[in-house]
Amino acid sequence: MTMIKINGTGYETKAGETILETCLRNNIDVPYLCYHPDMQKQTRCRICIVEVNGKIQTSCNTLATDGMDILTDTEEIKKLRRMNMELMLAGKDFSSYKGTRFAEVAESVGVTTSRFGKNSNKKIDEDSPALIRDNNKCILCGRCVQKCQNVQTVNAIGFTNRGHATEVTPYFNRSLNDVACVQCGQCSLVCPTGAIKEQDNITGVMQAIADPEKIVLVQTAPSIRAAIGETQGMEPGSLVTKKMVSALRKLGFDRVLDTDFSADLTIVEEGTELISRIRNNGVLPMMTSCCPGWIKFMEHFYPDFMPNVSTCKSPQQMFGALVKTYYAEKNNMDPSKIVSVSVMPCTAKKFEIRRPEMRDSGYADVDHVLTTRELGDMVKSRGIDFQGLDEQDFDPLMGQSTGAAAIFGATGGVMEAALRTAADILEGKELESIEYQAVRGMDGIKEAEVEIAGMKLKVAVAHGLGNARKLFEHIRKNPAEYHFIEIMCCPGGCSGGGGQPIPTTNEIIKKRNEALYREDQGLPFRKSHKNPEIIRLYDEYIGSANSEKAHHLLHTGYSKKNQF
Amino acid sequence: MQILRKTELRAFERAKALGPDKVLEELEKSGLLGRGGAGFPTARKWRMARDSAASEKFVICNADEGEPGTFKDRLIITKNPEIIIEGILIAAYTIDAKRCFIYLRGEYEYLREGLQAKIDEIKNITQTEISIEIVRGAGAYICGDETAILNSIQDMRGEPRIKPPYPVDKGLYDCPSCINNVETLANVPLIIEGGWEDKRLFSISGDVREPGVHELPVGITARELVEPCQPKERIKALFFGCAGGCIPYKEEMIISKDTVAEQGAMLGSCTIIAVGESRRIPDVCKNIQEFFVHESCGKCNPCREGNYAMLGLLDNISNNIGSDAPDDSISTVEELAGFIKKCSLCGLGQASSTHITTALQHFREEFTK
Repeated sequence: MTMIKINGTGYETKAGETILETCLRNNIDVPYLCYHPDMQKQTRCRICIVEVNGKIQTSCNTLATDGMDILTDTEEIKKLRRMNMELMLAGKDFSSYKGTRFAEVAESVGVTTSRFGKNSNKKIDEDSPALIRDNNKCILCGRCVQKCQNVQTVNAIGFTNRGHATEVTPYFNRSLNDVACVQCGQCSLVCPTGAIKEQDNITGVMQAIADPEKIVLVQTAPSIRAAIGETQGMEPGSLVTKKMVSALRKLGFDRVLDTDFSADLTIVEEGTELISRIRNNGVLPMMTSCCPGWIKFMEHFYPDFMPNVSTCKSPQQMFGALVKTYYAEKNNMDPSKIVSVSVMPCTAKKFEIRRPEMRDSGYADVDHVLTTRELGDMVKSRGIDFQGLDEQDFDPLMGQSTGAAAIFGATGGVMEAALRTAADILEGKELESIEYQAVRGMDGIKEAEVEIAGMKLKVAVAHGLGNARKLFEHIRKNPAEYHFIEIMCCPGGCSGGGGQPIPTTNEIIKKRNEALYREDQGLPFRKSHKNPEIIRLYDEYIGSANSEKAHHLLHTGYSKKNQF
Repeated sequence: MQILRKTELRAFERAKALGPDKVLEELEKSGLLGRGGAGFPTARKWRMARDSAASEKFVICNADEGEPGTFKDRLIITKNPEIIIEGILIAAYTIDAKRCFIYLRGEYEYLREGLQAKIDEIKNITQTEISIEIVRGAGAYICGDETAILNSIQDMRGEPRIKPPYPVDKGLYDCPSCINNVETLANVPLIIEGGWEDKRLFSISGDVREPGVHELPVGITARELVEPCQPKERIKALFFGCAGGCIPYKEEMIISKDTVAEQGAMLGSCTIIAVGESRRIPDVCKNIQEFFVHESCGKCNPCREGNYAMLGLLDNISNNIGSDAPDDSISTVEELAGFIKKCSLCGLGQASSTHITTALQHFREEFTK
């Protein structure tokens, strides 16, 4: 057993744990900014200094070793932290950090103004449809760079210049819109200052709601119900589907519908496509296509896999294409008056709706995308007491869903949902064993071999683009190994999406995913093709899966994109 | 100068005859300390690298001589490159490395061709399997830091790494790496061949008519160091490069690592910039500060923002000398200097305020009047 002394009290440390981690585990407050539990230690910000056996050291990277005597808040430490914070705030406007981790740390250190610096006036990069970068707010903690380079291996952003001129920018000082950025927003998820954040779509949505001419419809992605509670002071893992519906009605949306409905639709289309590829010697392994971050990644870095990617649109875009056609027709709505809004855990979805292919309804299939964070802000700014809300159900026709759709938000969920449907279709009967544990969990790359109708199906699941890259390199060398691959851009799947509440850590993601599996278990239908509203959609509108009409509305194509 | 002696691979041959253990013993006996500034015992560093069981190890010669006022390594690279190469070969042989690098300062590009020719020549003669590659820096001061060199060779941004792990445990491409200064490695063949004396190369410049490199024993007086260089005027202060800080010039003061440290400064790589009495110390400090603002790599907040803020303060003080500069700006300077020293990430950042703390210690009145 290893013991250390912190501020005079003895604490046990765990092997490999740093001083900061021991402190945080024991609720001893030490301020930190560049440290993130899931990433490499950087020691850039230096705000986490403590005194170790009389010597000042950063606590985030110093391993807690036996017999250490640590002081976390001596007068000297406090004074040094105040100076550090003053320098971070040099030339910056404290009021611009409202609600951020950085503001919280600055206040805890006791500094909100600075003796140093002139106001900085750097150009704001707002060309990208998904993300805004404002380097006037950046404190160069490097978390975003870590995520982009080491976790996602995209390398869209990095440090340029040196010394006081150092900045985080996309390569060649271009706009994020002009580089091979996949718009995943993982940078914005870890940014403590809001220097990188999602493009604001709240204004557009509020204007549409205020416009009496418009019918504003909203869809909510599978993972929102397991995360939005966190923005309203609830514990990670709180499942708040019905309160969320209630909140959306309160915000003034005319219809509250569910992306889970179109997740089921995706499974029927994608499952059918997979079976057809297997039966007709099509290109294998087939790869899932629900995730716009991964799609853009593939177009930039692995365009040779384009024929492997399922032609199915993402659930958001299937939903969008149907809302202004099928849904409008059934409800006698003028599609030109419909404003289609989606709530997504994702910033890349803001990019996806602007892809030129996504106008198959004759209009923009989806008009606005709100992130989980933006919805949380809307609820808060309206003064809605979220936790006290009553529980309401989604509106019908495109509001019903199955457990298979619920788990779309977790890595491995799409794979599991697809297997549930494909197995039933191939076996020609209703199977009772529907849980595929091998594809669940947080391992970076998961593999499974499934026997269906006498056929051995080999599948793999990767989440986080660094893992996806590893899997692709393997597939390039072993093209015949797998039948079906699920890729999610963000670590943990959509639960860890770039638009999710801050903070997001692997621990929190696990809890959100557990909530989604609870949702799955509690639903009356757990296989996508059993969804009564999906059955009705095919009967009354689409005909059959992969039909001509399905291809027109629900399928899409891809194009190679440059890296430079 | 003994450092310019031609050992003509005799030391390398002797090292091979002795075997690694005896080489380490001889090095230990000599008491050779690293010449780059930190003064770490060379034999101990080599032993750690040798004791590592890793299959791949590297030797890196730090030729990124970037400290202002330091030009001793240039002399060796120009006049006796063979002895550096021989030192590298002995190091590689001793720790069992196959690949070696010379990390050459960007501004020394003009020395590269000559150095490469000598590498090729020696390779031809020895037929050794040990390879030596020259990697040219891109001009950043920080790349004189041993861990920033590793990043630079690996095509990464020139930023220092967190220590530990130390390079001898986990260095270039995460393999054990033995990094030594040019002068350190140049001393090795002299020790192995025999007849070595523990002398240092002093780079002496400033307000003198004859700046240059002098090979001298440590422990002589300030006058003995400066007089041969013919001061232009009465000398007031000695600055040990930009990072080493300053002391008042006292003719009979013994200049050694310890005596300089007692005055709050660092002898480091034996760089001496003699400052004449016609100069104002705050102006010298401002000049040095501009260097650090330009050369801070930008990785950690204290060095990046602290040095920038410090330049503003010094600028203000330097402009207001004679007009009763308020004392609180001096206390802010002191607070900031202490912060930079205690909180910066790397050795270079931590040392970047030494010139100010020592100037305030020894020449405080110049900042206020």
